[in-house]
Amino acid sequence: MAEITEVSKQKSVSLSDRQKDIIQKFAALGSLFVLIAVFSFTSSAFFTIDNGMTVALQVTSIALLGIGATCVIITGGIDLSVGSVLALSGVVAALAVKDYGTPVWLGMMIGILTGAICGWINGFVVTRLRLPPFIATLGMMLIARGVALQITGARAVSGLGESFGELGNGSFLRVVNIGEDGFPTVVFPGIPYPVILMVVIAVAVSFMLNRSVLGRHIYAVGSNPDAARLSGVNVSRIVSFTYVLSGTLAGLTGCVLMSRLVTAQPNEGVMYELDAIASAVIGGTSLIGGVGTISGTAIGAFVIGILRNGLNMNGVSAFTQQIIIGLVILVTVWIDQLRNRR
Amino acid sequence: MESRPTEHHGSVPGIATTATRGVPASSTEFLLRLDNISKEFPGVRALSNVHFDLRRGEVHAVCGENGAGKSTLMKIISGVYQPSGGTIIYKGEERQFSSTRESEAAGIAIIHQELNLVPHLSVAENIYLAREPRRGFLVDRKKLRADAKRCLDRLGVDINPDAPVRGLSVAQCQMVEIAKALSLDAEVLIMDEPTSSLTEQETRLLFKVIRDLKASGVGIVYISHRLDEMAEIVDRVTVLRDGRYIATDDFGATSIDAIVSKMVGRSLEEKFPDRTSVPSDEIILSAEGLSRAGVFRNVSFTLRRGEILGFAGLMGAGRTEVARAIFGADPLDAGKVTLHGQALSITSPRDAIAAGIAYLSEDRKAQGLAIKMPVDVNMTLANMEAVSNRFGLIDFGKHATAAKEYIDLLNIRTPSIKQPVRLLSGGNQQKIIIGKWLFRKSKVLFFDEPTRGIDVGAKLAIYRIMDELAAEGIGVVLISSELPEILGMTDRVAVFHQGRITGVLETKKTDQEEIMRYASGYGRRDGERHG
Repeated sequence: MAEITEVSKQKSVSLSDRQKDIIQKFAALGSLFVLIAVFSFTSSAFFTIDNGMTVALQVTSIALLGIGATCVIITGGIDLSVGSVLALSGVVAALAVKDYGTPVWLGMMIGILTGAICGWINGFVVTRLRLPPFIATLGMMLIARGVALQITGARAVSGLGESFGELGNGSFLRVVNIGEDGFPTVVFPGIPYPVILMVVIAVAVSFMLNRSVLGRHIYAVGSNPDAARLSGVNVSRIVSFTYVLSGTLAGLTGCVLMSRLVTAQPNEGVMYELDAIASAVIGGTSLIGGVGTISGTAIGAFVIGILRNGLNMNGVSAFTQQIIIGLVILVTVWIDQLRNRR
Repeated sequence: MESRPTEHHGSVPGIATTATRGVPASSTEFLLRLDNISKEFPGVRALSNVHFDLRRGEVHAVCGENGAGKSTLMKIISGVYQPSGGTIIYKGEERQFSSTRESEAAGIAIIHQELNLVPHLSVAENIYLAREPRRGFLVDRKKLRADAKRCLDRLGVDINPDAPVRGLSVAQCQMVEIAKALSLDAEVLIMDEPTSSLTEQETRLLFKVIRDLKASGVGIVYISHRLDEMAEIVDRVTVLRDGRYIATDDFGATSIDAIVSKMVGRSLEEKFPDRTSVPSDEIILSAEGLSRAGVFRNVSFTLRRGEILGFAGLMGAGRTEVARAIFGADPLDAGKVTLHGQALSITSPRDAIAAGIAYLSEDRKAQGLAIKMPVDVNMTLANMEAVSNRFGLIDFGKHATAAKEYIDLLNIRTPSIKQPVRLLSGGNQQKIIIGKWLFRKSKVLFFDEPTRGIDVGAKLAIYRIMDELAAEGIGVVLISSELPEILGMTDRVAVFHQGRITGVLETKKTDQEEIMRYASGYGRRDGERHG
């Protein structure tokens, strides 16, 4: 008798668990659709291919940083340094091209490598010096920003040449008709390279998390670091990897952003780390660790991007936007808490 | 620091009343009396019909094995738990304490084994924490210091009331706790394993303080595993076993042997499977001279093929610590571990796992399982190489097959391989951990308290699995605080006492009393001071 009741209790619990999971996923995705519907209604320019591409482009930086943040947060850590690291990486890439005459691709590789090194240092400080991730990456946030301002003398690096702007401004499958009057008309704006980059990386990291041993270990470390260690998982290496990944993606984001502006700004990316963390959290990543998906983070990044874009188009002030996004974060995390409370 | 022994009496609030009470006149009346106390937790009866009484000015020891119900009883006296049945009579009145605050207000103080002091505050601030003397909104520091100093002087201990607690020794902290209890007008003082981390000399000082407290009429409830020390201070002893009241005796009229046999009982009607494996002479694992500073020293043992070796001893005797060190979870300072004739150099659990050693932690939820993750993930976590290709990608077919194989083999009850393990029962969780190590093809398994918190039926299943593993040639070490389990399942038993192995006994030729004697540092019968 006791066993039967126990089993039935388990079943009912697991069912409501699944329901809660679905509700959570649906809540984020559903609110995304609601946002799109509302903005389409209030602004005729919102639901167009052009604006769609604009939103996608705007979302890339949040999403790329959010993907890194998701992996770090799944292990139970946090990375506050990505906004500064992207600035440092961007200016390093620009300086390499401008002052040392490296080819653009090599300059950008150096920029991305800079991000990776910052991430490696974060990982070292967290796993070897055993500082709390919040402190370790707070330090890196200040250091990377300081270095970026120092090496540029706090001035923007411009005059980088047209090829530097290719990554950020070019697009794939762009169809342009040159009319008889000689003016081009854009038939299809094409898919911007940054958007392609975002999709490829999101798919790759998602694959890594779900299908590879590495991904399994990332979840295991976040779920229970002691159990993971006692099961033979190299916890330090796994944690370090996530910081390196986050730093590398910050470096890439920096190159993309600077390329789009064709100018490297040492003050670029301030507070981007918070957007990245917010997108992960809105997408259901738990700050306690062990839980999180890339699809969720992508939805979270789009929620933030569409909110900004749609509110802009409706003439809502930047201040009000901040208030609204803040409320969205509170409400989604509250829903997440409800889901986990039992 | 100067001490003024003559000024002790009369000046400290609360102590004055206890100090002036005539001891002989009131020594026969009960200060505290518990009748027919029962306590039930969901699914467990922790105490049934327990009696206990305490007189003024006596030290009354409570003895029993781990899990006998001592802590539960103390928590009922101090108001942490409320009894499910029975009466508590305190100073002639029937009382029911609904919190420690209430029991403290009534004059019952408890000093826990893990001391509860705030390390960054001073001694005086700790003694009067949350009860600081005030002058307006501010703490009256002068009075605080003076009051604390009087409490400490009363104990005859030389501790600076301004010193931060983090710089004190364990013994000094204990004195601060006692001073705090006295400042609370305590008439009943409960001490839980007070000498467990004290040196010989510090123990002397503690006993002197206890004798002074007795003389001033405080009733002391004294819990300890160290029976040898009790003769010095204990007046009466009550024995509990499996949550039941066994007996109360005058300490002078009984013997250590009699107490021990009451603690362990005679009954061995536990359900254990017949052992099928037969130990051979082939040695699988041997450990020589393992030491870790302050934790264990010079530990040596061998494990033979087909054998189940028990690690017995009291909590904190070093059994778990030795297993963890062999497994690479904690560092080893010295010693050699040999597996199948090969010397191992293990610096992390990964090395140990690669060599074929597995450790099933005593705390399943904190250290054994990724509790939120599903059954299959936990089952394969230690052997991902077997379910992935050379690019590090998981083969989900193999993954599911492996999980199902061990679910069937170990008869694990789960609705699916995707069920989060936190929704399974303790027995099934333990089987998943066993499955994890079997899938890893481990050669030696350390089971640390494998049946703790598991119901009887599941226990039997775990015992069967251990026997089958031994029969297949896997070395099994069973760390257990339950002596019936040690006697029922092992071939030999290594008994630990304070970080050393005090004896390795043939299970068939020993009994609970002998193991308990080794576990409390007594050793052979001729080494006794009592009886």
